[in-house]
Amino acid sequence: MANIAPPIPRLRDLTNTPKQLYYRGTWDNTLFVKCAAVVGSRRMTQYGRMVVEKLVPQLVEEGYTIVSGFMYGVDQAAHRECLAAGGRTIAVLGWGINWKGLDSADKKLMADIEKTGLVLSEWEEQKPLLWTFPQRNRIVAAVSHDVFVVEAAAKSGALITAAIATKLKRPVWAVPGPVTSKTSEGTNRLIANGFARMWLPKRDGVKKEGSTDNPIIKLLESESMNASEIARKLGEPIDKVGAQLSLLVLSGDIIEREGSFYVS
Amino acid sequence: MLVKLTSVAHVGLSSVPVDVEVDVAAQGFPGFTIVGLAGKAVEEARERVKTAITNSGMEFPGKKITVNLAPADLPKDGGAYDLPIAVGILVASGQIRSSDAVTNAVFYGELGLSGDVRPTKGVLLVGLFAKKHRIKEIFVPRDCAPEAMVVDGITVYAVTNLRDLVAHVMGSTPLSRLKRKREAEGEGDLVEFDLSDVAGQEQAKRAMLIAAAGGHNLLMSGPPGAGKTMLARALPGILPPLIRTEALEVTRIYSVAGLLPSGTSLMHTRPFRSPHHGISAAGIIGGGSNPLPGEVSLAHLGVLFLDEMAEFPRSVLESLRQPMEDGVVSIVRVGAHVSYPASFTLLAAVNPCPCGYLGHPKRPCTCSEKQVRKYRSRLSGPILDRIDLHVLVPAVETEKLSAGPGEKASSKTVREAVIKARAVQEKRFAAEGLYTNSQMRNKHVKKYCELDSETHRLLKLAVETYDLSARGYFRLIKIARTIADLAGNSLVTSTHMAEALQYRSSM
Repeated sequence: MANIAPPIPRLRDLTNTPKQLYYRGTWDNTLFVKCAAVVGSRRMTQYGRMVVEKLVPQLVEEGYTIVSGFMYGVDQAAHRECLAAGGRTIAVLGWGINWKGLDSADKKLMADIEKTGLVLSEWEEQKPLLWTFPQRNRIVAAVSHDVFVVEAAAKSGALITAAIATKLKRPVWAVPGPVTSKTSEGTNRLIANGFARMWLPKRDGVKKEGSTDNPIIKLLESESMNASEIARKLGEPIDKVGAQLSLLVLSGDIIEREGSFYVS
Repeated sequence: MLVKLTSVAHVGLSSVPVDVEVDVAAQGFPGFTIVGLAGKAVEEARERVKTAITNSGMEFPGKKITVNLAPADLPKDGGAYDLPIAVGILVASGQIRSSDAVTNAVFYGELGLSGDVRPTKGVLLVGLFAKKHRIKEIFVPRDCAPEAMVVDGITVYAVTNLRDLVAHVMGSTPLSRLKRKREAEGEGDLVEFDLSDVAGQEQAKRAMLIAAAGGHNLLMSGPPGAGKTMLARALPGILPPLIRTEALEVTRIYSVAGLLPSGTSLMHTRPFRSPHHGISAAGIIGGGSNPLPGEVSLAHLGVLFLDEMAEFPRSVLESLRQPMEDGVVSIVRVGAHVSYPASFTLLAAVNPCPCGYLGHPKRPCTCSEKQVRKYRSRLSGPILDRIDLHVLVPAVETEKLSAGPGEKASSKTVREAVIKARAVQEKRFAAEGLYTNSQMRNKHVKKYCELDSETHRLLKLAVETYDLSARGYFRLIKIARTIADLAGNSLVTSTHMAEALQYRSSM
């Protein structure tokens, strides 16, 4: 049931080009015209999620196909966010295409990816092992025109992807994170050492800044907060703040995740 | 000579009269036999009674003694029959003369070897039993006598030791008669934690207020150290005080379980039970061959707090369903079929993920999404469906606490709001036999929770956005109803509904 993929020209840049690639989904050469890899930590924090939610829709809008590694954390968040934004995405697996160890949520995401995009692997039955993931990373890097690293710890696999991309002369972008955060150590270091350009979101702030009178939105523009903090900052009773937060979430002005609110 | 005395056996919360027949035969080999489905503890009464009589300066008859505990098919256990057996032997051997004081009273208590009467569980039930069966006098251990003294119309004799009891029956030095004391009603201000002790967490406190006002079950989820347990322990302090009939109900359960501290008459504080997650199903529901109340019954009219709810075995969580639905738990064993009341507020605390730091502003979560899903699936299903309020208790960043004024409502003021809201509900449901909003069935929700068109629109939008189930839909309305009651509003408005949305399930 796995099909053998036609050759992808950009993979020839690699010194160790994979012998063959298997794929699932419908092959479409236009998928490979403009690819962006979005990779990062398995241990994504709240901040990482917010970044993916900003970065991926922007890339989709610019016409990129999102390439990532289908690992939990940033990878899967990137796939999901891409599909939610109506984009097409390619998942390069760190295991064989027919490997049967996936749980139901993974299977569902994979099926969703296949509808418009592709699932790729250079193996048929290979189990995921320590060495398979860095192997897979070279394909992610080679296929992509730009590589974006969102949250990587000092020894993250995403840094391997970034290193290969640099070698292949693909532009590498890293999203800066708090200097106190372990999961942003790798990305910050990429920027500090000049291996990656710093990615910042487009300033769509012109529209937002000053356009709102709502004190809650104003407050959340600078920092994400939970309901109790907002109430305390505004000096308002929590019941009133809670009611307003619900309305703002329903109207799509703000987003709630694990109890903290931020501007969408 | 044959003597018949009365004592009591407890089956669940009901009491059954037990006739203690003692025969000291004129002929036959010396011996001491107890018959009538006597358990091990009753069998051993022989040694206790024999020694206690001797050590009290009386003579244990060297004759054939037979004790029968009737009815014969009811299993009897515990030390409470020591006292009637001892008195019976003394009467039957002619050391005390038989009188009305002996035959028309209930004797209940365990003996020590010195002849002292030890605290025995279930004394309150003995008092209630005596009143029901029009028995005027009861003899019970001194330490437990205050329990029985809450029952009016009976005379309670607090017995310290066998010698005093004999002196009383002989008429030489009567025991003092204890009459019912009018106890101060429902104060119960003894609380471990005050709400104002917990820093920040305004939203969680608000959720506790709503839970207490509407009798809703509450689930708190948050990282370790955020204050979940402290909040939980503050809940009994904001619940309305127990009224006398409620206090009696709770005390009965604790009396049977033998958990009343000695000297207590009535329990005035609402019980707070927090069983460890290693508990068995029998421990939570109640069990044993003569079933004793479990944690759900010990939490009756109070709070059952399940800390780390995800760590409880599935079977234990599942066994909570029936009592949560009915307010009563039925335990069936080979020997007995017993019901205990179990109407409690469930308060549960969970971590957001196995490591506890998912969504933490500073610390990274070390769990994979799979682990988080697995952890949450342990909770999913019927039990979460019965918890109306879900609230996140986020980590508190201490430097942010000082930022705002942050009202610090004490438990006392919160409790006043709760009492007011409960009064509104009681009035509304007077004809339905309900007390709180949480007890509403769907038909009641339709009848008592009128929504205007704007609120309807909001609710519809929420149902679509969050993909709410029918049960989730009714749950939201119930919470909005309680919020409206707290605000003193007879109508549920969109503001109330919007706030209720904050407490929907996120699991």
